[in-house]
Amino acid sequence: MLTDKELDNFIICKKCDTLHRKIPLHQGGKALCSKCNTLIYHRDDKMIEKTLALVITTIISLMVAFNFTIISININGLEQSLSLLSLFSVLLEHQQYVVGVMFLFLIVLFPLMMLSSIFFALFFITIKRYGYTVRRLLILLSHLKHWNMLDIFFISLLVAMVKLFDYAKIELGIAFIAFILTLGLELTITKNINFDELWRKYENTYGDNYDKE
Amino acid sequence: MIKSSNFVRCHTCEAVNYEYHGKGIFCRRCHSRIHQSRNISYHKTWAFLITAIILYIPANLYPILITKKFGVQTESTILGGIIHLWEVGSYPIAIIILVASVFVPLLKFIFITYLLISTKYNVKSSRIDKHKLFYITEAIGPWSMIDVFVVIILSVLIHFSGVQVFPGTGATSFALMVFFTMLSALSFDTKLIKKES
Ligand SMILES: [Zn+2]
Ligand SMILES: [Zn+2]
Repeated sequence: MLTDKELDNFIICKKCDTLHRKIPLHQGGKALCSKCNTLIYHRDDKMIEKTLALVITTIISLMVAFNFTIISININGLEQSLSLLSLFSVLLEHQQYVVGVMFLFLIVLFPLMMLSSIFFALFFITIKRYGYTVRRLLILLSHLKHWNMLDIFFISLLVAMVKLFDYAKIELGIAFIAFILTLGLELTITKNINFDELWRKYENTYGDNYDKE
Repeated sequence: MIKSSNFVRCHTCEAVNYEYHGKGIFCRRCHSRIHQSRNISYHKTWAFLITAIILYIPANLYPILITKKFGVQTESTILGGIIHLWEVGSYPIAIIILVASVFVPLLKFIFITYLLISTKYNVKSSRIDKHKLFYITEAIGPWSMIDVFVVIILSVLIHFSGVQVFPGTGATSFALMVFFTMLSALSFDTKLIKKES
């Protein structure tokens, strides 16, 4: 039987389930799966600092995306604009409660929860406190990643715009730009963050004190 | 001796754990449940899948989009909408909606059913293939929400006193269908695949 420390030297590819023994990487190095070429881990000594900075920027950008006009259209002088607020008021007006609640969770709450969980988890690891909370946040994050549909919403927005293109004059709002920025930043965060590494940091930082809960 | 089939990856924290066949395991690092007993996961996956398939019927029969033009109401279903888009020449959009709302859910139903049946009866195919299939199933799932989001966005923008567009019952059924298909994929236990090797 291998000890936990020895088990930490192995990694299983999430895509094809192949077991790999980890090799030490240079700063900035990447390790790909030998079977399917998926990126399985990388080394970035500044991962936590970088991700913290990115997350803060993303939260600000997401706030702008949520609070301002995304696009507005003009059909023969009639104007209408899309923002998160107008979206919920229209859904309520048409009594689309199920769709409304799903939208609220998938587009608003889960992305916000995801970003703030990353922020607090990294922040607490940096100041080496609140180990139990860090662990709850890391577990929460692994569940949230399936349910964030911000990117799909943006593609839908593009599809809707193409549909309206023939009848309406479309004007992009400030939130549209913020959406693009948010998605770009989110993608960078997902690429940067290394959960295996974070969990090992968690274990090193807090030891066994919190493991019994 | 290090053998790949003796180990299992924790879905929550990615740690490599020892596999104990036929038993429920908790991760050594994050203490999350890695496997449920085989039967629970198997039946849960089926239950969510069947719910999703049942919801797919009203999702296609009922209108997803209702247009009210000066008091006259027209309704369009998912398929009706795609055919209309094709007829007016919006081919790219027609294809995107066709893939996202028809092909993706159907593929997911077929993939999950195949994974469940083939793992139950140990149908021979390489283990890696099934893992890839599962990975694809998980990745494409949420993209079927595109049509529902498009309808929501249109209902906000086309909201004038004379002309109004709004989501119909089909949108609710469809959104719930996507939700249950995702739950089904998430409750599928990759251990069911592993056992045959
Ligand atoms: Zn691989
Ligand atoms: Zn774990």
